Amino acid sequence: MSQDAEWEPKILGFLCRWCSYAGADLAGTSRKKYPPNVRIIKIPCSGRVDPLLILKALRMGFDGVLVSGCHPGDCHYQTGNYRARRRIAITKKFLEYIGVEPQRVQASWVSASEGDKWSQVVADVTREIKEIGPNNLFADE
Amino acid sequence: MNDIESKLRTEARNLLEQGKVNAIIGFAPGSLKFTTTPLITGDKEDTDRLVINPFIANNLSVFIHDIEGPVGIVAKGCDARSIVSLIQDNQLAREDVFILGIPCPGVIDLRKVEKLVGRDRDEIDDITRDNDRVTVAVGGENKEFSITEVLRDDCLSCESPAPKEYDLLLGEDNVVVGDRELSRSHIRELESLPPAERWEFWKNEFSRCIRCYACRQVCPACFCERCFVEESEPQWISPLPRWQDNLVFQATRVIHVAGRCVDCGECERACPVNIPLRSLTGKMDEIVEELFGYKAGTDKDAPPLMTAYVPEEAEDFIR
Amino acid sequence: MYRRKRKILSGDNMKKIKKKDIGKLLSKWQADFTVFTPSRATGVARMEEWDGKDTDFLTWYRNTVIPPKNNILPNMEAMFRFQKDEAGYQLEPVTPEQKQIIFGIRPCDARALTIIDMVFKDTYEDRYYLTRRQNTVLVGLGCTNPYESCFCTSLGIHPAQSADVDLMLTDIGNELLIEEITDKGKELLGKSSGLTDASSNDEDSAKQSRETAYQKVTRKLDTTGIADKLQASFEDKDFWGKVAAKCVTCGICTFLCPTCYCFDINDEISKGSGARFRNWDSCSFSLYTKMPAENPREEKWQRVRQKVCHKYEFYPRLFDTIACTGCGRCIRFCPVNWDITQTLESVPEHSAV
Repeated sequence: MSQDAEWEPKILGFLCRWCSYAGADLAGTSRKKYPPNVRIIKIPCSGRVDPLLILKALRMGFDGVLVSGCHPGDCHYQTGNYRARRRIAITKKFLEYIGVEPQRVQASWVSASEGDKWSQVVADVTREIKEIGPNNLFADE
Repeated sequence: MNDIESKLRTEARNLLEQGKVNAIIGFAPGSLKFTTTPLITGDKEDTDRLVINPFIANNLSVFIHDIEGPVGIVAKGCDARSIVSLIQDNQLAREDVFILGIPCPGVIDLRKVEKLVGRDRDEIDDITRDNDRVTVAVGGENKEFSITEVLRDDCLSCESPAPKEYDLLLGEDNVVVGDRELSRSHIRELESLPPAERWEFWKNEFSRCIRCYACRQVCPACFCERCFVEESEPQWISPLPRWQDNLVFQATRVIHVAGRCVDCGECERACPVNIPLRSLTGKMDEIVEELFGYKAGTDKDAPPLMTAYVPEEAEDFIR
Repeated sequence: MYRRKRKILSGDNMKKIKKKDIGKLLSKWQADFTVFTPSRATGVARMEEWDGKDTDFLTWYRNTVIPPKNNILPNMEAMFRFQKDEAGYQLEPVTPEQKQIIFGIRPCDARALTIIDMVFKDTYEDRYYLTRRQNTVLVGLGCTNPYESCFCTSLGIHPAQSADVDLMLTDIGNELLIEEITDKGKELLGKSSGLTDASSNDEDSAKQSRETAYQKVTRKLDTTGIADKLQASFEDKDFWGKVAAKCVTCGICTFLCPTCYCFDINDEISKGSGARFRNWDSCSFSLYTKMPAENPREEKWQRVRQKVCHKYEFYPRLFDTIACTGCGRCIRFCPVNWDITQTLESVPEHSAV
């Protein structure tokens, strides 16, 4: 790691264990090249994501949060991803209203066979967050 | 004593006498001027103390879960919506509440009156309402205001001041003088600011939060037995009152009650340090309507907002 | 009833200052102290560091929302910091060093400090509280226009007179009469400017102003035998149930109360280093007494009973003073208008235990 490396975003990823995590795994076994900026937490379902987790991640200083789950209709628990969708939709809009850059909260549907898509999602998300700069929202003065 | 009051007292007494309810929840005169206080009683003699006036501020539905068995409750439009929302969430059964609906002409915001006359409530002699005019007797003078100048902001944007769900409606279903734009003007103001300035605004507001949790305690939608902020393993939010954590607490709370919050404004009224909480809850109200066409507490048979879904909706932000 | 011997100096030592010169006086004091004055600048009335010009508080007549206890027992304070290294943990105590003046504290809030001093000086001396207390000079300001929620007079406190401050100011129109109460106050006067001698006319005006303020406190509470009455009613679940019914168990009354002092302690640790903090806690909260085995105050009537009895029964038995100064904040800011004076007046007569 070079001493004066430019800032790299730290992004927290919540990946559902049935689809997205498997998809990310596939990206790995397929030797896809993509940025290493997403730190992954495996969750049983995207429906596990309480908006509290997103806010906590931003509070801790993560530059972005990415929630990834199964495509609508394919959720292992039937409806978990529908709930995630509603929750993240209102969370994004609300955070934007209070002054948080909307790019910091991201979501994707990545299935177990979409290793390609996963690497693309990570590349796109990393680039977007890199463009808006580090998260100084909660920095003390 | 007005007409509605006398009807209410009779009905409430009857409900207790006939054993139809174990307790009545309503409003009694407060111990300070221009204040009422919740009256929760199983004693039919207490029903003579029930009042209906422009200061019946509390959302009484927050007390229902304290009472065992059926309860009779005085409900303005917003309270009735909270009750419907609680029924949707399986927090109470419809047959366990007897809703004494009050077509609400709006509650007066004392802070607004104080600001308009430049005096504390202690110096004000009287506040009387006559339809859409309000007279404030202070310092020997009578000052007149239009009702839209002194009504609570949430009353100004209220779309159902008379309960739609009730067992008895005490009075005529009426329309309150509303001014939705005026009521949401602070939200519009904030939206016109660049994001960094909005964040600075909230940072400043939450610097004085003392974490009394009054906002949470008066809210009927906050019915969790153990709030996320009380978890210590893991500790999601520090209990220390730093602005960062105060803001995260409130933002999370508002998101958690989305779809259940009926914008009754009690959180803002309860806040002892004057944080404009309705500029958060009111916005969430708008978000929920904009995204899902949902209005809290309007349909007791509808699934709660956050458990419902339509196969295709709100996808535009998802990759 | 707790009483402190009052040293009232004779007329020739009394000074006064024009209200319009207060700014200059505060500026002078700022050279050696951090000066706190009542301010609404942050959006709520409380003691803030004086900004160098605002003296609007002289027209307020009454009390702040957040009590001045906040400046001696802050809502958040670091107790010590720690650092982990190969040798173990290095501790660095935090000592409040700031010399401060609280200007404009009301008699009820000043008495409240005297009352909670007793608990912080008891078997264990709390160095954080006591150091701040020692480093603080209290310049009291008498009320001229109490709130309808005030009931200080029922607790032996005068709205415009105080022996619990170091200097006491009385409003006499365009001027403020200044009385020395303690040596600390005398020392502060020595560092003052813009003062003139008060005449006996001024003293008369002050007496008048104080008497008027006293008469304006209309809310009354009879505290005769209250401790015994409360003790006899301890098991009266019906009474306490009724009293507690409308309480929503938030922390407003306890946090705004100048005599409440409960606190929580939290460690913040990151990679082995961090700090220990304390912050306000409230006996109203449902988790206040929760322990692994049980929660003795699980139900809210138990917590409400505890709050009332602590102030009007337990504290008097321990320290010979009621732990309430009638500031009325709990009544005024309670979201459900729960009123401690109404509760105390309705405690039933039970035969002595």
